[in-house]
Amino acid sequence: MIRLLFTIARGMSDMARHPLANLFTMLAVTMVAVLAGVFLMLLHNVNQELLRTRGQVEFQLYWKVDTEQQTVDQQWKRLSRIKGLKSIETFTPSQALVELGQTLTGPTDFSWIQGQNPLPASAFLAFGLIPGDEGTLWANGLLQELKALPGMDEVHYNPFQLDLAHGWITLVRNLLWPIIGVLGLVVGLVVGNTMRLSLLTRQDEIEILSLVGAKPWYIRGPLLAAGALQGMIGSGLALGILKLGQLRLAETLNFAPLYLKISYLPLEQWTALAGIVTLVAMLSSFVAVRK
Amino acid sequence: MVEFKGVSQRFGQQWALHDVSFALNKGEFLFLTGHSGAGKTTLLRLLYGALRLDLGRATVAGFDLTKLKRSQIPELRRRVSVVFQDFKILPNLTAYDNVALALKVRGLPRSQSDRRVRGILRAMGLEDRAYIKSERLSGGEQQRVAIARSMVVNPKLILADEPTGNLDADLTDHLMDIFRQFYTYGTTVIMATHSREVLERVPEARILHLEQGRIVDTASPPTEIELYGGLP
Repeated sequence: MIRLLFTIARGMSDMARHPLANLFTMLAVTMVAVLAGVFLMLLHNVNQELLRTRGQVEFQLYWKVDTEQQTVDQQWKRLSRIKGLKSIETFTPSQALVELGQTLTGPTDFSWIQGQNPLPASAFLAFGLIPGDEGTLWANGLLQELKALPGMDEVHYNPFQLDLAHGWITLVRNLLWPIIGVLGLVVGLVVGNTMRLSLLTRQDEIEILSLVGAKPWYIRGPLLAAGALQGMIGSGLALGILKLGQLRLAETLNFAPLYLKISYLPLEQWTALAGIVTLVAMLSSFVAVRK
Repeated sequence: MVEFKGVSQRFGQQWALHDVSFALNKGEFLFLTGHSGAGKTTLLRLLYGALRLDLGRATVAGFDLTKLKRSQIPELRRRVSVVFQDFKILPNLTAYDNVALALKVRGLPRSQSDRRVRGILRAMGLEDRAYIKSERLSGGEQQRVAIARSMVVNPKLILADEPTGNLDADLTDHLMDIFRQFYTYGTTVIMATHSREVLERVPEARILHLEQGRIVDTASPPTEIELYGGLP
């Protein structure tokens, strides 16, 4: 433990001995991490938006026109407690009329049909997707349950939409991680080369240490520690810059008809970004002086 | 201390050393002479483990170079110190820190190394220059720092590759006096040189004259070298 602390301290003092070289290396690492983070955030937000709009199973429910609103209200309460429900939107006949009026262009005064509203009570249910055949079975079972509700007239459910959602989820799973993997590789190569180039300026020092009989760990240890520190500080700065950017731009696209709220990277992605940058910075420092 | 038997070293298709054999006892002084490309530096690099031996057998300071593992190189370099023409000291460290570095890598605490470092700097006439960054020292002072660093660890063998190549005549004399002093205290020295003046500074030294990677002859004292026509 003491030896480890000593090595870290030597790494830090080495960094202090070459302040400019280390500062520029750290800036380069930070910029690469910021660029990677921006790309990841873009991917994450697009993915979230697409999953929100396409990765779900939807049911449209229409009650008979003569069903009492009290009965419908009780069923809405029951429906809102179904496991896996992501959202529920309900419309009384009069609310449905208002909605209809808003979707039509031109004058929409329906006051003349008050009391004779032909529209039924309705609900729109959206569920998160259960993958595979289990999801199809579950959707068919729920369809039967919904159809059997008292006063229910029609339940619209599109099995094709379920297939589409399954397809989308599969596509995302198959594409997202390979893209993140390629991104990780690019970050790794750029950070790795930056670190290696920065160590070229210290080749003489490394050679001299080797000539006076320093053991490999004595030479590599502080470089490894300095590399890890640079990776950690660089990725930490990058994550901070990304967070500031996200806070500033979170509401920029949150207007009709987009309604896109920019969210920050999820935990697993920002830890992976910081981890990859730190690890690569450390390993490239090690590899640069392995001979 | 050093024994070479039929040592050959190749770079690509070119033989840098060819069938080199010699032995050197503890406390001897050996000059390596020859033109540029004769194999002097290659021989020195073999001696401090910077090259892997291609052919033949060699032992240095108790290490068998034919079986030398990479992990043993630091140990070899703790017994064999090297001084270069271009000094190879760290310019952003003080003279003191450069000398102390050799002890620091051996894990010696500063409390123990301090006396030795000060002592060797005093012997080198660098007492009042100890805390000046090496990049601000003159060439002669930098070379003395390099020699001090090599001597502070009490090596069994000192290798010097043209150590006076960048220095004027007065400084050359001064540095040769220092080398001679260490040699008289029992340290073995192998020095590669082009210069006749340097050879004349240690008349009792043995001389190994190389041409195209081969030992063409050995001689002592240096005047005999003229017979072989290899020196400038």
